[in-house]
Amino acid sequence: MLRVEHLTKVYPNGTVALKDVSFEVPDGEFLVVIGLSGSGKSTLLRCINRLIDPTEGKIFLDDQEITSANSTELRHIRRKIGMIFQQFNLVKRSTVLTNTLNGRLGYANPFLSLLGIWPQADKDMAMAALNRVGIADKAKNRADALSGGQQQRVGISRALMQEPRIILADEPVASLDPVLAHSILQYLEQMNKTDRVTVICSLHFLDLVHRYGTHVIGLKDGMKVFEGAPSEIDRARFKAIYGEEAQEVRATALE
Amino acid sequence: MSNNKHPRLRLPKFTGRILISLVLLVLVIISIQVTQPDMGKLISSFEKGRQITDGLLSPDILEKKSLGSYTISIAVPVPCNSAPQEIIPDEGHRLEIVPGCANPRDLVILNGYDLGENADVNMRWVLPNGKLFSIRTAKTDSSGNLSEEIDVRPITVAVDGIPSRLEIEVFQPGSTYSASKTITDVFNNMYVTIFMALLATTIGTLFSLPLSFLAASNITRKGVVGSAVYYSVRFFLNMIRSYEPLVMASIFALIVGFGNPFAGVLALSVVTAASLGKMFSESVESIDPGPIEALQASGATPLQVVLYAVVPQIVPDFLSFAIYHWDINVRISTIIGFVGGGGIGYFLSEKINTFNYSSAGTAILAIIIVVWVLDFLSSEIRKQFT
Ligand SMILES: Nc1ncnc2c1ncn2[C@@H]1O[C@H](COP(=O)(O)OP(=O)(O)OP(=O)(O)O)[C@@H](O)[C@H]1O
Ligand SMILES: [Mg+2]
Repeated sequence: MLRVEHLTKVYPNGTVALKDVSFEVPDGEFLVVIGLSGSGKSTLLRCINRLIDPTEGKIFLDDQEITSANSTELRHIRRKIGMIFQQFNLVKRSTVLTNTLNGRLGYANPFLSLLGIWPQADKDMAMAALNRVGIADKAKNRADALSGGQQQRVGISRALMQEPRIILADEPVASLDPVLAHSILQYLEQMNKTDRVTVICSLHFLDLVHRYGTHVIGLKDGMKVFEGAPSEIDRARFKAIYGEEAQEVRATALE
Repeated sequence: MSNNKHPRLRLPKFTGRILISLVLLVLVIISIQVTQPDMGKLISSFEKGRQITDGLLSPDILEKKSLGSYTISIAVPVPCNSAPQEIIPDEGHRLEIVPGCANPRDLVILNGYDLGENADVNMRWVLPNGKLFSIRTAKTDSSGNLSEEIDVRPITVAVDGIPSRLEIEVFQPGSTYSASKTITDVFNNMYVTIFMALLATTIGTLFSLPLSFLAASNITRKGVVGSAVYYSVRFFLNMIRSYEPLVMASIFALIVGFGNPFAGVLALSVVTAASLGKMFSESVESIDPGPIEALQASGATPLQVVLYAVVPQIVPDFLSFAIYHWDINVRISTIIGFVGGGGIGYFLSEKINTFNYSSAGTAILAIIIVVWVLDFLSSEIRKQFT
């Protein structure tokens, strides 16, 4: 159970990206966060693993407060929270295998990992993860030699290495075409269903929200303006959340 | 057009051009007044210039060496009867002295037969104590014979019945070429220069690594302390970079001694550290923050993040900059010798100062070749990393 209480984020330049946002995410949920560009989706996800420190409010994972954790505690919490990025965030010059192993750094022997030595068990685990997302044959390739869809699969296998309880996915398919979008989201769905991993995912397309989400939060100007089941989001609600741009977004979504 | 939105003060084209031409003309006149070029001097010293360029253009590379040589000698009893006269063979290369013995300050004729045509001959005394005493060189005639007058100096007096001997070394005509002494010297000095540059590059690179991280805004410029460090390191780097390596080298040469390669190494190390520090810091600043964020999010320690997300991104740049700088350092260190930094530059300046232009020519040729080869090599190696 993840609990977000009265979360507010004000950036140093004065931008209020989140305003008093509260919600709960029970284990095993596939929570979709929707909202216009600039509504605060990325800020919200990054506050959860504290890549961004919130200005006010508290976040709890079970009964442990993430927002007050010291650096060691925070690293231990982060190990259990995988993150998937719109731009994949792979180390482009490193191999696919190394990028996957990077997800295991939080568990690695600090000394051996600084020497670049990995136990065979970790290597086997990485190959299994790559196998699971169907790119084991690319293990020795450089990450930047892969297509966008393949790179995002490396991103997923890197998150798999953390054996996460929660996956934060920040617009994981926004850089991919619709067909690839489904193949990537299916991996997230599979983790959600078979491994009982809680998924918190921001999405832009209404049909994807309906297809994958089990619960939805809508953000507008940093405020939570909607929370409910995906089926409750009809076009009217969608328009309320997205404003005038709704037409455009839906058009893309229906493609 | 966006230009139309923000109209700026514009001179009509024609007036503008005239103005620019006028300014240029004034600048040219000023520079002539300041430097006072004397074309007459260039013409009047044409002959001197020709001699120098002739020397420089005929580098001393090869040395003539004869195919082989042999030595024969004959005893010269001084005074007569101090030792027995030698029996002269009838055939083969042989020597004869006329008369067969001599007193000090006499003249004797040294005849040689069947020595080989037109051969160079070195003539010398071998004194009773075995010491050699060079006389002069000569040449055999077209039938291979030799006839030379030799002064009998008092020093050649026999000792305990052992006479002095006249010895000749005959160099067979026809010759091979081999690397000259200058070439060996140039090689040794070039070797010093290349390794001076290599050492300086290594030391400079080692120092530049921490400096580059301190001078990278995305790593250091955080908080008051960070900003202070960032700005002072940057200021420090820029200050050093504004000094010419030559100036730096002459200062170090004063400290550690003129012609000492260590002076060059010190100067180049400092310059390299500053210059690579700046280049590296820009490369650190331009890295993709995405992977850093990703690894932080997975619970990696800061050191792990640097090693797995920062280092792979900067290593290719760093290597290629360092190799590039080695190339530059070889170039600079050839010149640094001129101000006392040792190596090939010092050799070159020495040769020029002693008017040894053909040796200087050799050095210049070697510099050209080495710079060219390194330039090629470094660009080839750098290609591997991009
Ligand atoms: N580092 C920052 N400094 C200042 N303002 C920021 C920063 N990051 C984001 N913002 C601002 O905070 C607000 C929320 O940004 P955020 O990136 O969370 O939105 P988002 O919903 O993820 O948008 P997008 O769909 O474009 O990714 C925006 O107005 C943005 O301009
Ligand atoms: Mg975003």
